[in-house]
Amino acid sequence: MNERRTSVPSEAAQLPALTQFLQEFWSAAALPPAQALSFELALEEIFMNVVMHGSHPGTVPRVEVSLVLTDGDVTMTLEDDGPEFDPLSLPRPDVEASLGDRPIGGLGVFLVRQMMDAVSYQRVGARNQLRMSKRIEGPEERADSPSATDGRLA
Amino acid sequence: MFEIQLGAAGQVVMAGRLDATQSDAALTFLNGVAEPRVIDLARLDYIASAGLRVFLITQKRVKAAGGGLRLINVNQQIHDIFKYAGFDRIIDIARGPG
Repeated sequence: MNERRTSVPSEAAQLPALTQFLQEFWSAAALPPAQALSFELALEEIFMNVVMHGSHPGTVPRVEVSLVLTDGDVTMTLEDDGPEFDPLSLPRPDVEASLGDRPIGGLGVFLVRQMMDAVSYQRVGARNQLRMSKRIEGPEERADSPSATDGRLA
Repeated sequence: MFEIQLGAAGQVVMAGRLDATQSDAALTFLNGVAEPRVIDLARLDYIASAGLRVFLITQKRVKAAGGGLRLINVNQQIHDIFKYAGFDRIIDIARGPG
């Protein structure tokens, strides 16, 4: 099992450092580079959500990020000590709306749900915890083999 | 790393990672182009919702003036993200040189 953990203040300027942290985990675990993008996106969306919406006045919460690889599943967890907020409670955007009816914003969490196999939120003590996981297919698994797709179509 | 500039044929060229730390700069650049039309994304490696916002705001502005964006050379992964967001319904997006 590969596991890494880091923690940063919830400031937008920390995003490149977090992305680098993810990329280092990815190479150390020898995961296929092409599949890093969905985790990079999920990390940015959830982190930026905390940056924009998740602080008590006059304070900067800390965000802890952990990454774990177990049996081909990557699980990424973000925890922050900001005010209670469940991003999964946000309304689903209408991605079929016409241009004129499209609001600016509101797509981030929706994209995370699309790109991950599982996303869950928990309030743990005084912390928000968002956990995301996705099966990563190794190059040795064929795209058409049943074992590579079982349980991923639901 | 993110770069945005005007190409020789007047197209906008983006390269690198259009993340939340770069999206304001990208929007400022596009706002400085009177009538952006073609945006070449051949060398764009990454986009998330902050980057999508740049395209949505710009498309609204350009459409209001009677034009429309055409995104060309969009790679498969970035195309998937545009598609998840339903942007293929509101912006002309081509995987090839179009």
